Amino acid sequence: MSALITATGLTKHFPAGGFLGRGRAVQAVTDVSLTVARGETLGLVGESGSGKSTVGRLLLGLLPPSAGHVTFDGADLATARAGDLRTLRRRMQLVFQDPYGSLDPRRSVGAQIGDALSIHALLPRADRAPRVAALLEQVGLAPDHAARYPHQFSGGQRQRIGIARALASGPDFLVADEPVSALDVSVQAQVLALLADLRARLGLAMLFISHDLPVVRHLADRVAVMYLGRIMEEGPVAAVFARPRHPYTQALLSAAPSLHPERRRTRILLQGEPPSPANPPSGCVFRTRCPLASSDCAHAAPPLQGAGHRVACFKAE
Amino acid sequence: MRRLPWTPIAAFALIVVIALLAPWLGLANPVSMDVPHRLAGPSAAHWLGQDEFGRDVFARLIWGARVSLSVAVAAAALACVVGTTLGVVGGFLRGIAEILALRSIDVLLCFPPLLLALLVVTLLGPGATTLIPVLALVYLPGFTRVAYAGVLTARSQDYVEAMRVLGAGKSRIMLRTILPNIGGPLLVQFSLAMAAAVVLESGLSFLGLGVVPPAPSWGLMIGAARATMTQAPLLLLWPCLALTATILVMNALCDGLRDAVDPHPAYRPTARRLLDALAPGLLPTPRAVLDLRGLTVEIDTPHGPIHPVRDVSLQVFPGETLAIVGESGSGKSVTSLAITGLLPGAARVISGAACLDGTDLLRLSEDRLRNLRGAAMAMVFQDPGSSLNPVHRIGDQIAEAIIAHRPMPRAQATSAALALLQRVGIPDPARRLRAFPHELSGGMRQRVMIAIAIANGPRLLIADEPTTALDVTIQAQVLDLLADLKRERGLALLFITHSLPVVAEIADRVAVMYAGEIVETGPTAEVFLNPRHPYTAALLRSAPVEDGPAPEGIAGVVPPPTALPPGCIFAPRCDRAAPVCTTTHPALEAAGEGRAVRCIRWNQP
Ligand SMILES: Nc1ncnc2c1ncn2[C@@H]1O[C@H](COP(=O)(O)OP(=O)(O)OP(=O)(O)O)[C@@H](O)[C@H]1O
Ligand code: SF4
Ligand code: SF4
Ligand SMILES: [Mg+2]
Repeated sequence: MSALITATGLTKHFPAGGFLGRGRAVQAVTDVSLTVARGETLGLVGESGSGKSTVGRLLLGLLPPSAGHVTFDGADLATARAGDLRTLRRRMQLVFQDPYGSLDPRRSVGAQIGDALSIHALLPRADRAPRVAALLEQVGLAPDHAARYPHQFSGGQRQRIGIARALASGPDFLVADEPVSALDVSVQAQVLALLADLRARLGLAMLFISHDLPVVRHLADRVAVMYLGRIMEEGPVAAVFARPRHPYTQALLSAAPSLHPERRRTRILLQGEPPSPANPPSGCVFRTRCPLASSDCAHAAPPLQGAGHRVACFKAE
Repeated sequence: MRRLPWTPIAAFALIVVIALLAPWLGLANPVSMDVPHRLAGPSAAHWLGQDEFGRDVFARLIWGARVSLSVAVAAAALACVVGTTLGVVGGFLRGIAEILALRSIDVLLCFPPLLLALLVVTLLGPGATTLIPVLALVYLPGFTRVAYAGVLTARSQDYVEAMRVLGAGKSRIMLRTILPNIGGPLLVQFSLAMAAAVVLESGLSFLGLGVVPPAPSWGLMIGAARATMTQAPLLLLWPCLALTATILVMNALCDGLRDAVDPHPAYRPTARRLLDALAPGLLPTPRAVLDLRGLTVEIDTPHGPIHPVRDVSLQVFPGETLAIVGESGSGKSVTSLAITGLLPGAARVISGAACLDGTDLLRLSEDRLRNLRGAAMAMVFQDPGSSLNPVHRIGDQIAEAIIAHRPMPRAQATSAALALLQRVGIPDPARRLRAFPHELSGGMRQRVMIAIAIANGPRLLIADEPTTALDVTIQAQVLDLLADLKRERGLALLFITHSLPVVAEIADRVAVMYAGEIVETGPTAEVFLNPRHPYTAALLRSAPVEDGPAPEGIAGVVPPPTALPPGCIFAPRCDRAAPVCTTTHPALEAAGEGRAVRCIRWNQP
């Protein structure tokens, strides 16, 4: 499979707030390398503040990295010329988490979906309305919904509108940042099915960010697990879920509540809470909560290594 | 609070101290005249020279500061006390108090401040004693509006709600919870009013409407110096310099204070999700802690009354967890608010009974309910950040919760708070007692909320989405804690959630709500294994299971409470619906051991 998007050594530190920037920089993302192949879905899981959204925004070039680089279809986002960057932008899109905050309440749905078409001058004006209608149908809404305003739709319908807007420019890569976590479970499943269907029909590559492990299990081909800005483990979903090798992944999978508690993995209860990303532990960032940690783990950060199924832990079998 | 603006504070303090010490500084008498030396320039005896009557300018400058500042401080203080009282009372009591307080302020605001001051001074005659009430009147609306806006914001916060849940009365909430939260903006308003009052005082004195000569005042000095400007221009310079320096210092102070008291991130108001759901039951129950029967709630809306909760019955036994599960808008939260007597104004219970150990909560007076909340019945909300008061220390808030129901010495309450923090698993509890809520993580704040909830040994604990805002590894810790407490203290736990896996983890029994009704209830394991209502089954199929089939959604949407279908409310989305379902509204009927289901066709193939 050919890589569509590749991140190498991506690092993002947000300068500290406060007077004259005193305090420590937030190390939101550190040394993240990953690839997404054409038509492939990479799930990105991790707890709140682990840097998932920041990775998504770095891949889209919405944030400049502090170090490392992103190449999209062979072009380096950092060095691409303005004109090329516009073309690249068209080919990468974002689906937001909040179906309410992410649509402009004062403009019709059709106008917002049409934005991408006019910004990138993709179609003559006369052809835009039919294209918007086709997009709405593609996400399971009626063409005449174009004239309505966001408040006239339910949360699930708005999320469909957000997806239609992202698809308008004909992207090959979609970052979906928690696209269903604000939705009720019966609606979640519909939107997930829509995403899976679109991916198959349009050959979309996708970075699917979520904290819901079973959802990732169903939608993604591969999964990367983040903790405190670093990738701890990465591999094909089936392998990672069946045989998690990193102690954090094992704890995370075992902590997720299960519909069938009797079939759940034995629970590994992590002690304490994640440290602040402004002041991560030395060496392996997970060591303050790791049941296997030893003094070695404080000295150096374990590299993410392995073939196909990669783990960043000195003790991983 | 962030760093205080020490430089302007020191400069301002210096000005105040010099003015206060004026009688003891060995200054010349500011009103004794020396006409032969009128308009004399600076000399060893008169550092800044002498004015048009030969009075010592330096002495008049310092005595003038005394007059200007005391008028300004007194006026700002008066305006602050009266204005804040009006605003707090208006904002908290609403109704007629609100109309009176705000309308009178609106009338005041119609007059430009200078015009208002001129009007009153002309009517009452000049002099420092008139100036104070006049200036107070001018700055009063600012305080009222700041206080009123602050109270309205604070009222909608969960932590004010949490005080009500704890059983605090109105005046306590006003004084202990709301006032400290609007203290920052009021402080800033106070320094602004003071600075503006200094200017306005000088202006009025300059016009001859303020301080009466020969008393010294900067405004008077500027006015007099203007007349002799060509002969002694320096005389104009000194009072102007003093005025400018004072105003600059005060402005720096205002800015510094505003930055220092700016709301913390933890201030974020969270909209309360109102429409949620409730529980089932109908089991024979000798000793249920909570026995809810036939609860129906009505809410007035612009489209007419709606009934977001209809005929809901459920029981919770000691040492048992009952989960109410449902999607958003199913009526879960309205049910719990009705039980605790915290329904919003437009909502009311139109039928049903909710017995807590035999006492019907729905028929208790607000006073008696308040005594129960935080004692026999406690609540934990979804967002622990906004349920805690950001300006009080954790330890004080827990002690407060204890003392509200069990009067005891402060020290004893604090050691009880320490024991509670230890019990809920907060590391280093002695230090955390002194922490403010924003210094704790979300998981830790939720533990504090649980500590407060169990502080007075409740019989019933209502937890409304207590882990929804937490990460999975933290959620697992909190669920374990709740289960331990329930077991150890024999609590009846009413757990409200939208997450089926969480229900499976924690609940002994489950009540599934849909659009305001309980559609199925029974022991969790049996209901999940063998759901009898088509909605329960569909809901279970839509929850993603790691090693299960891909989740399926439920077609269609929940009907809005304004347009409920006539027969079974689930019929438009039901895959088993038959013609009879659209005409007959099914009742919740017993369906085997401890189970009940609201479906006409549950036992038909
Ligand atoms: N613009 C910013 N300025 C400063 N810090 C930031 C900024 N954006 C993110 N951060 C910090 O970077 C870290 C990673 O944030 P990020 O939003 O990527 O996490 P996440 O995994 O998406 O979390 P969640 O699950 O809560 O969405 C956090 O500590 C966050 O507070
Ligand atoms: S490297 Fe050490 S601390 Fe880090 S996960 Fe492995 S065992 Fe735990
Ligand atoms: S009564 Fe009919 S429509 Fe309602 S749930 Fe049962 S089968 Fe479905
Ligand atoms: Mg995020």
